[in-house]
Amino acid sequence: MDALFIISNAIVLASIYGTLAIGISITWSSLGLVNLAYGFVFAFAGYGAWLVAQHISQWGPVVLGAGIASGSLAGIIICALAFIPIHDKPNFTIRGLIATLAINLLGTQSLLWWFGPRSKSLPEIFGTWKITLPGMVLTADKVGNVATSVLMLFFVLRWMQASRRGLEIRAMMMNPHAASIVGIGVRRTAFYVMAITGGLAGLAAVLLSQTYYIGPYGGLTPMIKGVSIALCGGLGSVRGAVIAAILLGLNEALTSAFFGGQYVLITQFLFIIAILLVRPRGIAGILDRAREA
Amino acid sequence: MSEANWRNPIFLWGAKGVVESLPTTPFRSHQEIWRSTRKSKTKLFSVGRLRYYYKWRGHGAITWRRLRYWPTRRRVLRVRGEYNPKNLRREKTIVDKRPIWWAFGFIALALGPLFTPIDLQNTLLTAGATFGIYAAISLCWMLIIGTAGIISLATYAAVGTAAFCTAILSIKFALPWWLLPPIGTVVGLLFGALIALPATRLDGFYYALLTLGLNELCRVYFSTSKIFGSATGGLYGADTYIPQNSSQFGQLLVGYYACSALMLLALLFYRLVDGRRLGRILRMAPEKREAFAEATGVNFRQARLVVFLISSAALGFIGGFYTSNFRGVAFSIFNFDTVLLGVGMLVIGGIGRAEGAVVGTLIVVFLDRVLITLGPIRLIIIGLIMLSVVLYLRDGLFGIKAQFRNWRDKKKSERRSTRAEKGGEMLPEEATETHDKDIVYMRRFDKMQRDYLKTLVSSEVIEEHRRSPQGQHSEALQRLLIYFRTRPQVDKYAIAIVELFKAYRIVALSGQRGVPPRVVEDRIYPTQKEAFHGVFLRRVQDLLES
Repeated sequence: MDALFIISNAIVLASIYGTLAIGISITWSSLGLVNLAYGFVFAFAGYGAWLVAQHISQWGPVVLGAGIASGSLAGIIICALAFIPIHDKPNFTIRGLIATLAINLLGTQSLLWWFGPRSKSLPEIFGTWKITLPGMVLTADKVGNVATSVLMLFFVLRWMQASRRGLEIRAMMMNPHAASIVGIGVRRTAFYVMAITGGLAGLAAVLLSQTYYIGPYGGLTPMIKGVSIALCGGLGSVRGAVIAAILLGLNEALTSAFFGGQYVLITQFLFIIAILLVRPRGIAGILDRAREA
Repeated sequence: MSEANWRNPIFLWGAKGVVESLPTTPFRSHQEIWRSTRKSKTKLFSVGRLRYYYKWRGHGAITWRRLRYWPTRRRVLRVRGEYNPKNLRREKTIVDKRPIWWAFGFIALALGPLFTPIDLQNTLLTAGATFGIYAAISLCWMLIIGTAGIISLATYAAVGTAAFCTAILSIKFALPWWLLPPIGTVVGLLFGALIALPATRLDGFYYALLTLGLNELCRVYFSTSKIFGSATGGLYGADTYIPQNSSQFGQLLVGYYACSALMLLALLFYRLVDGRRLGRILRMAPEKREAFAEATGVNFRQARLVVFLISSAALGFIGGFYTSNFRGVAFSIFNFDTVLLGVGMLVIGGIGRAEGAVVGTLIVVFLDRVLITLGPIRLIIIGLIMLSVVLYLRDGLFGIKAQFRNWRDKKKSERRSTRAEKGGEMLPEEATETHDKDIVYMRRFDKMQRDYLKTLVSSEVIEEHRRSPQGQHSEALQRLLIYFRTRPQVDKYAIAIVELFKAYRIVALSGQRGVPPRVVEDRIYPTQKEAFHGVFLRRVQDLLES
């Protein structure tokens, strides 16, 4: 009973963090930008959804949509501030990293200044129903979280495979230089990528706020989890991120079942370090095909 | 143009076919072209075009006297001695003024407490002590990021771990304060060795992301475990070097000077690592040129690891000092904001230089600790500074000078290329490459000569030549003809006789023995005179087109 509860929790968290990790992974491989402003995107999307829930509607899909939209907006802001001005300048990778860190500091502090340190909570967008299975109880938010994030991921990946824009993004992931030669606009594609990954982060923010609260610093832990998963799975690989999310979710469930909750991060990082020592580019990363900064 | 008339001097002798006077081009001095070419058309600004160095007076008898750091041969100031080429006086130029600025900075640091206003004493001296500690941390971090090129974000985690370990040891076993930094060094070294393990395999960003996670791991571990005081927000009660029975001002002063001394130690450490063998090795192997360094036998991986480990040990030392300074440590040292501010300190000053770390730390600590009444706005200001530095400056505040000079040189060469009139004379780049400098002057003279001759060409002159291609000519025509006749043989026009007295045609000489002239046009001229004029017209056209 207890183990099943922990496992179901781990699956929920894994699906949410996986959403974030895939965003980070896509951003890195297509733009060459290590986006460490995800914490800000996350918090911004949470506050956007909260504002809509306060002032416009409490209806689930509207709140979700508001979260996704404000996440996309934050992604576009980051792209305009940290990618567009310096993407063709020397030392872009390290400067981009530092620029996103600066945006994170700026954005988090602005949210703190504007909304105050008290955390907010969103309405329960999936309702309060339950499914009782032999051995476990599945609450609405768990089922909803997993279903929504899997659906959203499915649609985003389907879009990336089937549409013209998705083709552009995948071309950028393979070889940005060649992509720009055949006429794919780097800046325009960057806006698409950042809007989509921001939207994924916004979705994750709303979903996670069913369990946790929304605060200016609330994005930090999800960002670090997402970064770890992306790192472990191999930056630039969607399949790797999914595998890593499942593995780390399992690790989390097992550790909290056998050792206790406070050892989760320790075992998690030992696990990641072990994987990275064996495969320095992550589970699905191949050394030669990694993006050359 | 046709006011001027030329009187043919041989008319009086009654030469055949000679008219008394003919219209010609009015006189123009060839000096005009010379003057207008020599005149500088560059817009001059009074400031900022040349590097200005003050010239100190030297004495020929003490040419070889040098101030050196005993017992090394290193000189305190890099001074260049030279003789003024104009008056042959002995002169000295200080090439690198940075030691002077450092000296001023140290004097200001030492005398600072004397000049703090009474009501701000507490804030300023505490901020000064914090500045010392954070500057020391930034310097060690700069060694890791700048010298070793390992983008590690776990620096504050190393400091915090050492601080927490020493604090708990001091509380549990009542260790004296002077044992804390050495113990911290050991803890830091162990921590460094632990996190250096993945650093051997991962490159830049993978490692940065991993260390970000490690920092969070430390935060969660220390703030949730009960022995480290999860309830109180930190761990306090360690032994301190600050005498507890003295006045508050005395305590502040001791703390301030001790932290400043720590910063000086860190500067010395930076100098010893970066300025000596390890730093040289790593400067040999910058990013993307590692393969070359490896091929020449430089073991840069080992050097990186050594720098990382000894910097981690130094960070541990600072952690132990931190505990003994503040009597303990708070969990906030593991906060993500602390890491961000630390990155800001490095980035604002410029990565890879000691003065960058110190001044960046000064700016950030001033905004963060002195203007504390501003609330979150002060962090927003720091974020804005950081963002604008990253977006606009290539190498932080201390890179401004080099970046500005680069930009100015770029602009200069852009303007020069728009100014250059391409009339056959050499461009600056070409001129420096040419071995025979006479060619440069010859081409320049030729250009001016052609400019002058172009002003002489007019319909009157052409008409005069048509009338009599040979014989006495007006000055303008004569100058043109002399110029045309003295051209080199290559591609010089000549007249070939197709049939004597009946058919002539214009050819161009090859200028090489054995290579026949090439035919320029199909036209056949019936007389020699017309052929002469045809050649003249072609030459005039070539002149005007050049």
